[in-house]
Amino acid sequence: MAAWVKGDAADTDAAVAAAAALLSAARTPVFAGLCADVAAVRAAYRLADRIGASLDPAAGPGLYAELGSLSSGGALTTTAPETLGRADTVLVVGSRPWDGDLVSEIADSKPVRGLSAGEERVVLSLGGPRNGTSRHVAYGIGNAGLDVAIGHLRAFVRGHLAGEEAYGDLATRLAAAKFGVVIYDAGEIGEAGTEMLQGLLKDLNEKTRFFALGLADPFQGRAVMQLASWTTGQAPRVGFGRHLPEHDPWRFDSARLVAEGEADAALWLASLPAPRPDWLTQLPSIAIVGEDSPEARPDTAEIVITVGVPGSSAGGAVWNDRRGVIGYVPATSGTVAATAAGVIAEISKKIAEKGASC
Amino acid sequence: MSTLKLRSEPPERIDLLNINPLALSKMSEADAARIPVGTSRRGLTLGDVFSIALDGSDSLVIEGGSGRLDRVGASLSQGTVRVEGDVGQRLGAGMAGGSLIVTGSAGPFAASGATGGTITIEGDAGDHAGGAVYAAKAGLDGATLIIHGTAGDGLGDRMRRGIILVDKAGARAGSRMIAGTIVAGSLGAEPGYGMRRGTIVAGSHGALLPTFVETGTPDLVFLRLLARSLAGLRTKHADLLKGCMRRYSGDLATLGKGEFFTPAG
Repeated sequence: MAAWVKGDAADTDAAVAAAAALLSAARTPVFAGLCADVAAVRAAYRLADRIGASLDPAAGPGLYAELGSLSSGGALTTTAPETLGRADTVLVVGSRPWDGDLVSEIADSKPVRGLSAGEERVVLSLGGPRNGTSRHVAYGIGNAGLDVAIGHLRAFVRGHLAGEEAYGDLATRLAAAKFGVVIYDAGEIGEAGTEMLQGLLKDLNEKTRFFALGLADPFQGRAVMQLASWTTGQAPRVGFGRHLPEHDPWRFDSARLVAEGEADAALWLASLPAPRPDWLTQLPSIAIVGEDSPEARPDTAEIVITVGVPGSSAGGAVWNDRRGVIGYVPATSGTVAATAAGVIAEISKKIAEKGASC
Repeated sequence: MSTLKLRSEPPERIDLLNINPLALSKMSEADAARIPVGTSRRGLTLGDVFSIALDGSDSLVIEGGSGRLDRVGASLSQGTVRVEGDVGQRLGAGMAGGSLIVTGSAGPFAASGATGGTITIEGDAGDHAGGAVYAAKAGLDGATLIIHGTAGDGLGDRMRRGIILVDKAGARAGSRMIAGTIVAGSLGAEPGYGMRRGTIVAGSHGALLPTFVETGTPDLVFLRLLARSLAGLRTKHADLLKGCMRRYSGDLATLGKGEFFTPAG
């Protein structure tokens, strides 16, 4: 396990002590990233509670696009296994769903349960990359944004617009489904697009059965969401400055806090791969990063501590996208490295020994 | 007239939720100075941030603003609050009555959930002025919001009642609007995204959504009544309605009972 303090190699104890000193002296520290196993994120929430820090996961934009829509109007959702088993019509919105192997798996199989069992599956795309890798019927959106295109399609589904346009044809296909699913990424279509999409599904459910399959973000956002909920009763962007978890997505946006000079220290937690924020070197900061990751270097932050990577050099509970649950992944390497949770617990212990205001 | 004079730029965000003329009228200056307003573990109080002079009146002046002063005039029910400078987020949030004036600019979510009274911002307003905060059912909900300068994106997002007058606003004004009225000198692109009902009037505008359809240039009594009611608030906005107005109906992706008016000329 390597560590650096102000660019110089240090032992872990010295780095932990420096991190504790930095955080205990801060007025409004912020913890960002939170792309780690559940134990590490839980340790981060506990430390934030102790020192009055705020938290903001790297998954924030996509997570809040989904949550904003969910909080305002609910959601009609399904799972990947249900989609594979029952869907006779699948609409893929945007480009990101095509990145993984889910769409090709859907396109290459047939429904095996329900009203459509044994029938051919129809795969449609709206605003997709048109790369032709899987069998599907593509509907372009021109220069329109995805959220505008979803609204345009919804107007046809509702019967408020009519005509020979492609959207009319697509609306007819969707209404003819026996069990339909829309696959999308909330971070790509935004909160407005997600809310419009859920409205589209409500309209389609007046005639048939149609559900959403939102893709999880790649930065453990859904695990963080669950942990934040059972720990604070709130969504992840909370601050503990006033001795209770206050939820405010605007106030506790880490990039805003740094840009407006409100944060005076930062802890970036990324034992799993996550994009390093460009503001990390603009203020006194601590980076807890996966060993052998591109960020495991002395200039990543003022204090850098490397830890085991869940599922590789350490075990840990992480989000399982396919099953839609938090699951444990064991270490695959022979030597099990120190964990992020352990390092954060040590920092918290040092701060308690110092008697920092809390 | 009671006065709070800002000592210096606050080192952290300050929450003024409970600081209004009615609450302060029952307090001594010493008691008021002990009200916690800080948002960090340092426990800043009103007396740490402001020098305080109270006279028990229903008028409060905050001298020296800052973009870090949040929830100024929030939940105000009567009296007047005047801020000589800028304010932060959620100006007048949940306000039920009275008058709130800011001579500078306001942060995001001004007048969110305000059900009554008048909020005047003489400078600019941030994004989502008159808009809903996270998980809120409605943005502006009956109050009157007047912005002399420029508002950001999402003006009146999910507003349910009330009037917003603004010289200029960014993209997606009136998005997800439930009802109410927005009158603007100019608006950015895609006004009224997802609006269900309500009225938007704009002297000029950016690209319209494909889910808004033109319904002609009807001579509506409603527009004359609206102009008359606006004349007492801001003449320049009332004048917008004097000529022939082109009407669009939308957002057809939703209920489609909203309307968007712009000069026909």
